Amino acid sequence: MPENNEELRSIEEINEKIKRGDAVVLTAEEMIKLVESSGIEVAAKEVDVVTTGTFGAMCSSGVFLNFGHSDPPIKMTRCWLNDVPVYKGLAAVDGYLGASSMSETRGFEYGGGHVIEDLISGKEVVLRAESYGTDCYPRRHIETVITLDDLNQAILVNPRNCYQKYDAATNSSDRILYTYMGTLLPNYGNITFSGAGQLNPLCKDPNYETIGLGTRIFLGGGIGYVIGEGTQHNPSSGFGTLMVKGDLKQMNSRYLRGASFYRYGTTLYVGIGIPIPIINMRVAKTAALKDEDIFVNIRDYAAPTRPDLRPVVKRVSYAELRSGKVYLGEKEVPSSPLSSYKMAKEIAETLKRWILEGIFFLTKPIEPLPKVGVFKPLEVRRRELKVGDIMSRNVVTAKLSDDLRDVATKLVSKGIDHLPVVDDEGRLIGIVTSWDLAKAIAHDKKRLDEIMTRKVITAFENESIDVVARRMAQHNISGVPVIDKLNRVIGILTTDDISRKVVGGRSIQ
Amino acid sequence: MRVKLIYSHGVVEKPILASVVLKTGVPINILEAKVNAQKGELIVSIPASGDKLREILNLFREAGVQVQEFAETLRIDWEKCISCGACISPCPTKALRFRDDWTLEFEEEKCIACKVCVTACPVKAITIP
Repeated sequence: MPENNEELRSIEEINEKIKRGDAVVLTAEEMIKLVESSGIEVAAKEVDVVTTGTFGAMCSSGVFLNFGHSDPPIKMTRCWLNDVPVYKGLAAVDGYLGASSMSETRGFEYGGGHVIEDLISGKEVVLRAESYGTDCYPRRHIETVITLDDLNQAILVNPRNCYQKYDAATNSSDRILYTYMGTLLPNYGNITFSGAGQLNPLCKDPNYETIGLGTRIFLGGGIGYVIGEGTQHNPSSGFGTLMVKGDLKQMNSRYLRGASFYRYGTTLYVGIGIPIPIINMRVAKTAALKDEDIFVNIRDYAAPTRPDLRPVVKRVSYAELRSGKVYLGEKEVPSSPLSSYKMAKEIAETLKRWILEGIFFLTKPIEPLPKVGVFKPLEVRRRELKVGDIMSRNVVTAKLSDDLRDVATKLVSKGIDHLPVVDDEGRLIGIVTSWDLAKAIAHDKKRLDEIMTRKVITAFENESIDVVARRMAQHNISGVPVIDKLNRVIGILTTDDISRKVVGGRSIQ
Repeated sequence: MRVKLIYSHGVVEKPILASVVLKTGVPINILEAKVNAQKGELIVSIPASGDKLREILNLFREAGVQVQEFAETLRIDWEKCISCGACISPCPTKALRFRDDWTLEFEEEKCIACKVCVTACPVKAITIP
């Protein structure tokens, strides 16, 4: 058997074969089958190119646009396409439309990804822009309609696409979560995952031996190029990414689709296919990796922490995820992808056809991509407000044995709305509000235990104000007792505290 | 089968649905309910077909409830659908699943029109008629 890095064929030789029409091209799925039936040595000897594909939501995508000059001309400082904001920190009529930029009138329904799809579909898009007016660009406002043909350039430049793989998601909490990983049902109700696994381009060349700066690829139904590593490129942990570009005018809306994740935001489904030239045995082996060989973590999205700190529930292969059910302990949990395996296959097959028809040639990278590197978190180096900074520490509490009249008197005399109910050791057992007392009168209840809420939403002293404010909004409540680890009440935080004492994330006490 | 049950003033206070469940043993699922002293409207999912379904609908009619049948539970725009699968694992009754070629498949009989797939779909391919 040849050594791992001994050259089997060069890119030039493969291109000669493509020109002659006798290159052997297989999709990654077909390569896997060939290796299973005939062995890796035969496959490496026979196969020139393995094609890959992926079709998933890639938020870090967008398009550079040049609108051309109107008469009189305008230096656009703010600009919208179908009410979706376009980034205008560029020259007068250049802009960048990001996939996750959301419509100012339709919000989650429609965003940059949808505008991109509409442009490729040939639809008219409303262009609106504002300016302050200059001697050379006197116009201060413009509103017109444009199509893709009207634009001088529309260049898709995606800073992060084509994740090598992606951690799967589940939800341990007792409420439904709407995330960029889709709808996550409560109590580990389902698992979602992303990526095409054994068809995923970067899974097939994880050592970056063939994919690099300048690699020609299938991008959105047209021709594109790898222009570097993507943002958050993390090859050391097996989470590589790519930055890619291509001419939007050549692309096809079948392979670039605007999308929106409910209560999360808008994005773009991007179709990418990359040819893997089988230049040596090592590449042949990685090109034949199967879903069974590619592992990711399932993370719990109930934790409101940064992605890498979300607790790992289980480590699984793409084969397990794709089977439609994963066991979490004893529980059989349904799993399903967010990226389309059917479209990924179609892309790999289309790229194969292009090569066989002699209309797509391979390129040798002019620079390799970084093979090491990690994804660092953002350290917050300013002191941030915590619950403990603005909560009231003089908490008025009630005992279960208290008379309702005494409870009402406490609320009125202290001018408060929330009264935590504690046991003899000061541990939280319930909460009663002025509204509960109103209901007590309406329903003729006499005892505290008949009206108090036992399942209390609480906060800890060291939690971020933003996290607790969101918790209160979700539960539609106006105050939370702050407890220590022993469940003892040490303070109370109300929406009143937040609105009075916090401005722009800073305390104004 | 998904149906709308309309209770008039005269029958709104009677436990008709509970009686039908007890009599037929079919676990009818209430999807939406608007009930007040004057009238009531329930949208229910009945996991039955053929003679059993006809029997159940007749029991409601005999009890004075007006029955409106929905022809379809949900509508999938196959031009829009990209077969990503985002709707599959949230579906509580496994009415949505992949075929062998990884295209999406919808099994109408299992659907209880809970609408979780409508919001889960990233390309808005699913609607409730």
